[in-house]
Amino acid sequence: MNNPQKRSMLTGYASLPFGEISQCVAGDIGVLGVPSEVDSGPRMGASLAPDALRKMAGQLEVDLPAAGRDLGNLDPSGDWSGVLKHLVTQMVAGDIVPVVLGGASDVALAVLRALPDLPIVAAMPVVLGDVAARPENSIWVGLNGGQPADVWDQISQRSMAWRTARQLDEGHTDFSGMPERAVLWIDMSVIDLGHAAGVVGLNPAGMKPETLVSVISAMPCSWQAVVITGLAPARDTRGMSELAAIEALNAALRNG
Amino acid sequence: MGDTAQLLFDSIPSFLGVPVGDLEDLVPGQVAIAGYFCDNLDRPVAGQRYLARQLRYASRPENAPANAIDLGDVNVFPLEPDKHFPAVVSQCEAVLETGARIVLVGGDSSGLKALGIAAQKFTGADVTVIPLKGDIAGNLSKSQPVILSVDLNELAGIWMSHPSRLTGLSPAQMIAQIDATPGNVIAAVVFGLAPALDHLGTTETRAALAILQAVAERLEKGAP
Repeated sequence: MNNPQKRSMLTGYASLPFGEISQCVAGDIGVLGVPSEVDSGPRMGASLAPDALRKMAGQLEVDLPAAGRDLGNLDPSGDWSGVLKHLVTQMVAGDIVPVVLGGASDVALAVLRALPDLPIVAAMPVVLGDVAARPENSIWVGLNGGQPADVWDQISQRSMAWRTARQLDEGHTDFSGMPERAVLWIDMSVIDLGHAAGVVGLNPAGMKPETLVSVISAMPCSWQAVVITGLAPARDTRGMSELAAIEALNAALRNG
Repeated sequence: MGDTAQLLFDSIPSFLGVPVGDLEDLVPGQVAIAGYFCDNLDRPVAGQRYLARQLRYASRPENAPANAIDLGDVNVFPLEPDKHFPAVVSQCEAVLETGARIVLVGGDSSGLKALGIAAQKFTGADVTVIPLKGDIAGNLSKSQPVILSVDLNELAGIWMSHPSRLTGLSPAQMIAQIDATPGNVIAAVVFGLAPALDHLGTTETRAALAILQAVAERLEKGAP
């Protein structure tokens, strides 16, 4: 067994020690896996993502630009969303940045319910109505053109900032009114399936992985929480999808 | 080498489909391509030693460089570094002394170290190593002996079977840089890739093969 393999068995995500919230200090991150699964459909496997991300981060010896603890995985049975909301609230109150590794999109929705007053920067292909209806404006990155008409109405009424994957590839990466503090939600389905196959959603003409990373790198925002969902690692034998998630997370933490 | 022996060797997979030969077959200006089966000494990643074998198996003779031969693998002693480096240096130096140019394929970056020492001993002066990342040194004279270092780990993740980073060079960018390498390229190393040995490695193997082809062709030009 080589050293990275040994280390990944002894430590958590990117060599963070396993621990509890009480061991974190202000400014730390708390990595929490929530292995929920998508309800149905042919592209399941999101529940494997937290451990797959830990494994790949260990293999690549990822240098995380933040200190903190890996808090392990939540038990996805029972009232996990209630527990998740409580943990996220507790961490944010202590100036600890929750880094939540889903799981399906319900993981992000639980996090957003825990932080109702913060704006959202969402990298995902579709706008969710209840997220768009939040009091704070959201920024959508990598939006796919195929949105329901009522959602377009919501977007136009709220003057939301959004960019499609194509716009981002063409260099339109500036966002006026970027909030100073926000929640970052990266749904890996924002990436084009041709570039990274390990996602639960089909998103033709989606973003390139490197575009996602560069866009997040360019956002001068203090992330109060980061959520990654929609990764189905077993569908990507090359590990490109996990790599994209890891690099996107690192890009966010470098700013935050 | 006799005709009978050559007939037998023709069925052996070789780099880019070039003829298989020995040290005594080399002539000045020829390009000798040799495998380097060692990946545990410098920037070690297990599996990099299989690159030479993978590229030989994937090679087709259609575009074989006209003036190159496959010299086999250099003898290595990966578990005895004190014995290993002098042995590899000596073999590389022996190739250079024939007037041929040498390409080491596979393994870790220890091959580059050994080749650098050999080139220095052969020329009696420091030999510039030109890596593909960053700007190519533009102020070299045409006769300046250089070693071309092609680290396949610089390829962007999209070309790899098991990517370790998203960004990087494409094979086309690497080949363009290889073509534009200034100076008198007397040696090269192509290393840094632990190829997937099944169908997953198809893309990276083809990319590596195209890059090796460009390296061999650049060495054939010598000091353009």
